[in-house]
Amino acid sequence: MRYLRYSLLLLLGACASAYKGLRPVAVDPSCAARMAPQGLGTAWYTTSVDVIGKHISGLLLVKQMPDSSTRVVFTNEAGVTFFDFAFAADGSFSARQVIKQLNKKPVIETLRKDFALVLGLPFRNGAWQAWQEGDEVYYGVAQKKETAYFITGPDCASLRRLETGSRRKRKVTVEQTGNNALLPDTIIVRHHTFAMTISLRKLERP
Amino acid sequence: MNSNRKPGVPVWMFLILIAGAARAQQYTGYKPVADLPAFKQRFATESQKVQTITADFTQEKVLTALTEKITSYGKFWFKRSNRVRIDYTKPFTYRMVMNGDKMLVRDEQKENRINVRSNKLFQQVNRIMIDCVQGTILDSKDFTSRVFENDKQYLLEMTPASKSLKEFFKTIVLVVDKKDYSVKSIEMNEPAGDVTTILFSNKTLNAAVADEVFAL
Repeated sequence: MRYLRYSLLLLLGACASAYKGLRPVAVDPSCAARMAPQGLGTAWYTTSVDVIGKHISGLLLVKQMPDSSTRVVFTNEAGVTFFDFAFAADGSFSARQVIKQLNKKPVIETLRKDFALVLGLPFRNGAWQAWQEGDEVYYGVAQKKETAYFITGPDCASLRRLETGSRRKRKVTVEQTGNNALLPDTIIVRHHTFAMTISLRKLERP
Repeated sequence: MNSNRKPGVPVWMFLILIAGAARAQQYTGYKPVADLPAFKQRFATESQKVQTITADFTQEKVLTALTEKITSYGKFWFKRSNRVRIDYTKPFTYRMVMNGDKMLVRDEQKENRINVRSNKLFQQVNRIMIDCVQGTILDSKDFTSRVFENDKQYLLEMTPASKSLKEFFKTIVLVVDKKDYSVKSIEMNEPAGDVTTILFSNKTLNAAVADEVFAL
């Protein structure tokens, strides 16, 4: 009986919305404009991807192109290109090159959404709503089935993380460290609905 | 005047000549090796004399379409037979040790031991690396080869034969020192036009290299 009670509590806990505690607040336009992610500058990162017990490492190039598009290229340490993604200035996406082992729709779609969030693409067109929970303010933009958030401290002094979530579930969070938001020292993309983490560390070129 | 006129035979001949000339001039300063079987024999025999190699290397990856390149540095060890260790030291750390059928990969976060027999791709990569330094690449069924020379070095152009390797490489070009038949550089040309070149320096042949260097 006690076991059943615990199980029910766990089940109810799992069903509870991750965003249940958010209360709507007025958008602070100057904070939103200041804190909305502006994308990333050109840099190389050492990269490791842990996905469902598998581990891959390599180098990731984020490159701003003259036509305002952004390229995201992943190679292994020995130089072999695994994928080359292009995000056009209008936000449209194309996979320019993908090795056969990764060329699967769910893989590409997951990576597309992750890097779109890292590059701040969902926040380009504004239309924010705002909520508060504890000392965090969530600025959200509705996507097709999800909402993309950037989350600030209450005084709008710092950007704490980026996040996507459905109505009930937190799906992906992106945390950065470093003093330059355009060239962060580290970036960690963490999935909350399955075991996947992408860790990036900016390379200082010799 | 008919502007839609198809090119006649002389035009096609001209195009073929141009294409042929372009191919022949692909490696400036090199000419094809006249007696390929003799070269293969010599290459295998001379390479057999190399028991160990220790070298530094500089690797440059050029992403042609993005006008971007990254240079990395490291150290390389080889011990006959079938043992290779590659340590990248700058601007990132990464170690790859191949010892027979076993492989160790250590990146900045994790260490992974792989039995190459269980992974066809790793098996091929392992084989190519060993064949390149051991002088047996010309016997590999994974590639068709063309060999050129100038007065100081040989140039081996390897074109993948299998579909799985063609996905990664258009050609792999090895430059081999005529003096000691050791590999000076490896150039990996990818189908999309990107090029990775590994240039070896401070090479020492046949010095003592402890087995522990290749510990897994």
